[in-house]
Amino acid sequence: MGRLRVTPRGFAGPVVRFGVPFAALVVALLIGAALLAVSGSDPIEAYRTMFDASLNGWTPLTRTLALATPLILTGLAAAIAFQMRVYNIGGEGQLYLGAIAASWVGLMLPPDTPMVVMLSSMVAFGALAGAAWALLAAIPKALFNADEIITTLMLNFVALSLMNYLIFGSQSFWRDPQRTVPGGKRLPESAIMPELSGRLHFGFVIAIVCAVGLWWVLRRTTWGFQIRTIGDSPSSARYAGMSVRMKTITVLAISGALAAIAGVSEVSGVSKGLEPNSLATDIGFTGIIVAVVARSNPLGVVPVAAFLAAIATSGSRLQGIGIEVEVVFLLQGLIFLTVTAGEFFVMNKVEVVAAEATDASNESGTELAGAT
Amino acid sequence: MTESSTHLEVRSLTKSFYGVRAIDSVDFDLRGGEIHGLLGENGAGKSTLCSVLSGLYRPDTGTVSIDGETVDFRSPLDAAQAGVGMVYQHFRLVDSFTVAENIVLGLSRDQRPRSMRDVEAMVGDLAEEYGLHVDPTAPIWQLSVGEQQRVEILKQLFRKARILILDEPTAVLAPQETDRLFEAVSTMVDKGQAVVLVSHKMAETMAYTDRITVLRHGLNAGSVSTADTTPAEVARMMFGDSDAAERKQAGAANRPAGDSVLELNDVSVRGDKGLTAVDGVALTVRRGEVVGVAGVAGNGQRELQEAIAGLRPLAQGRVVVSGVDCSSGGASARMAAGLAYVPEDRLGVGLAPGLPLEHNVALKSFDRAPHAKRGLLSWSAIEATARRLVDAFDVRGNRRGMRVSLMSGGNLQKAILARELDEVHDVLLAAAPTRGLDMAAAEAVRAHIVDERDHDRGVLVFSEDLDEVIRMSDVVVVMFKGRIVGRFPRDEIDVDRIGLLMTGSTEPKHATTTVAESDDDDATNDTLDLTPNGEPNDQVRAS
Repeated sequence: MGRLRVTPRGFAGPVVRFGVPFAALVVALLIGAALLAVSGSDPIEAYRTMFDASLNGWTPLTRTLALATPLILTGLAAAIAFQMRVYNIGGEGQLYLGAIAASWVGLMLPPDTPMVVMLSSMVAFGALAGAAWALLAAIPKALFNADEIITTLMLNFVALSLMNYLIFGSQSFWRDPQRTVPGGKRLPESAIMPELSGRLHFGFVIAIVCAVGLWWVLRRTTWGFQIRTIGDSPSSARYAGMSVRMKTITVLAISGALAAIAGVSEVSGVSKGLEPNSLATDIGFTGIIVAVVARSNPLGVVPVAAFLAAIATSGSRLQGIGIEVEVVFLLQGLIFLTVTAGEFFVMNKVEVVAAEATDASNESGTELAGAT
Repeated sequence: MTESSTHLEVRSLTKSFYGVRAIDSVDFDLRGGEIHGLLGENGAGKSTLCSVLSGLYRPDTGTVSIDGETVDFRSPLDAAQAGVGMVYQHFRLVDSFTVAENIVLGLSRDQRPRSMRDVEAMVGDLAEEYGLHVDPTAPIWQLSVGEQQRVEILKQLFRKARILILDEPTAVLAPQETDRLFEAVSTMVDKGQAVVLVSHKMAETMAYTDRITVLRHGLNAGSVSTADTTPAEVARMMFGDSDAAERKQAGAANRPAGDSVLELNDVSVRGDKGLTAVDGVALTVRRGEVVGVAGVAGNGQRELQEAIAGLRPLAQGRVVVSGVDCSSGGASARMAAGLAYVPEDRLGVGLAPGLPLEHNVALKSFDRAPHAKRGLLSWSAIEATARRLVDAFDVRGNRRGMRVSLMSGGNLQKAILARELDEVHDVLLAAAPTRGLDMAAAEAVRAHIVDERDHDRGVLVFSEDLDEVIRMSDVVVVMFKGRIVGRFPRDEIDVDRIGLLMTGSTEPKHATTTVAESDDDDATNDTLDLTPNGEPNDQVRAS
């Protein structure tokens, strides 16, 4: 018998910071294994299949990283907003806007435009469109304190309807009139992200550059200093003379731009035309999970996105051995739960102490009575 | 139970928090049929005593007995069962529930009628009986603050409370509502119940209570019968009849004050709820001078501090820092003009709690050399500054990368002072600079503040501890209900008069107003005309 003593940790060393999420991951996989076993599947075979399909070898690895590319970007989009405790749930819609704008640029510019010019204009326009879409929520937030969770979420449906209208509901500029099944016009070669290896395309490089760049900006610039101050304590920031309102607008715009670049990367590197069905796959929403699991750290977003992508890519292969694809979502959910719960152990030190030793109620830690 | 039987007896009650005695061997008697005023400065132990009586805290030592029987409350539920109920200043009501639902909330099935309609009828009867009129079927959010308070009282009456503790009940009420409250309270005592009135306001305490107990620094400073005492005597019990001459020496200023570094001109500010919180304040702080603002918390000090610091817009008037009119600018304008500010709220305003000390040290200077060049931070320069200030101000308990919220109050305050005094500045605004600090840390903080004056800068210090204000200040001003109601140069400091002014007893006609609502014109006159030894004393006699 004993009691648990919980004391807040001043500073978490690397062992704790990396060890706890890793342990959380193991716990998630163990719970998943138990559930698989209960449902009559062999967990070892399942995990082995998943590993082979996603990480074991160059081809599976490129497939995983290709899937991770947009997740890194939407993860970064959510991360920068969360850093300032602004909750942008609109990554999904901002991604569509990025795809719509980028494909418009790709189809408008002459096909013989040099690739560098073509791709950079697509990224720039896509990012602008996503930023503008985010501003629809940011400005009411800054002016009237309208809840951005609601506005950004609602704007997702507007964006989805807009994209569906352009392809399925009208003879728009984007729609390919030749095809019997409605679909987008194919982008010219110059508007398609160069291939790195297999399915992996140049969008991955853009995503990595964005992750490192965002980390650097937050850590090393005076702008990032202000964002982190506001995120920790808006009243302290105001006290120090920072403009919270203006930062809210900029951060939401940047967040929207990053999510939109994910749309650019998908439309240019994967679907190669505005294809609503291949774009509307909850990449924006999954980015929120990525950011939460990565604790809004831009560098943490990359491995987390890769890991979630690895689980997702292995889904189709699981069916081959008679396991439902839903297992993938189950595992994703479990990881989300254990890693966020693990945060408690990063922030606090939990010790088992002898019952007699902790009688004083003035102890600095909170004590949880109970057997351990 | 006869009407005059003693209801509640407290004997040598002691309760400590982290080694500090919040109340120390306090005796307290409460008899049925009386309204008993409980007075004291902030931090004198009133809330702690009430929290013990209402079952929120368990005392370290000492006993509480009701009708001769010793009780040991382990929770507010125990206290409620013994007939003790408390109405907090901040109501404990569920906004979306109706009055009747709130009243039975927390009662077990056998303690309440089955149907809500019966509850409503019972609440209606109680309301009628005590004159606490409120619609039992109305949801809380539709009610005024005064009505919500009635619901809180009805909740206790419904639980058959014989002893009711009201924590600063008039702080949120308009004058007419105050009158109605005390009508209901006198109905209760007529029925033999006992009421504890926790208050800061001298006038209402004198007017409505039968007896008064004063707590001072956790000790019982005396219990007196209201009819046999005067406001002056009660104020002396609250603030002590200290040896003013000795205190004046402590920080004597040797030279005349210089140019004005902070000037407030007819400043009015609205509070969080849009009501006037600061009403036409005029004040000047000169170089080489410490101006101390004495006052009971909640009289507009916080709003005034925020207005001076540029965190709250001015409704009228001007704020001039070192000759620069900053009235329309925000916090950065005041900083640029030379204002250093130690805010009341250390963690959350003065410091960003989740970030490390290095970050907090650079909170205001992060965008200037040597901490940054062209938008890029130099963390090595910021860390160097942090190390320098940690050494210079003896800030302890920090580890690299540790979030500051884990440091002790004294070290947090030293860290804020270090940052603020390291900036180029002409005037320091310090709010409750030693609140919650241990003696050594408080002394160190006071030494830094006095040192500012000796370096020919101006200081404006707000504190609820009157001793401290008097000890540090060259000029003491008293704030009450958003106004400056008295100004005392060092040689003319009169502790008794300051104590009276702080509790508002020289203003009998305003005694029950919560927010200063009178015309703005005489507001500034108050500050200018009030002579330290003038007629206010006569007004005390009049009351």
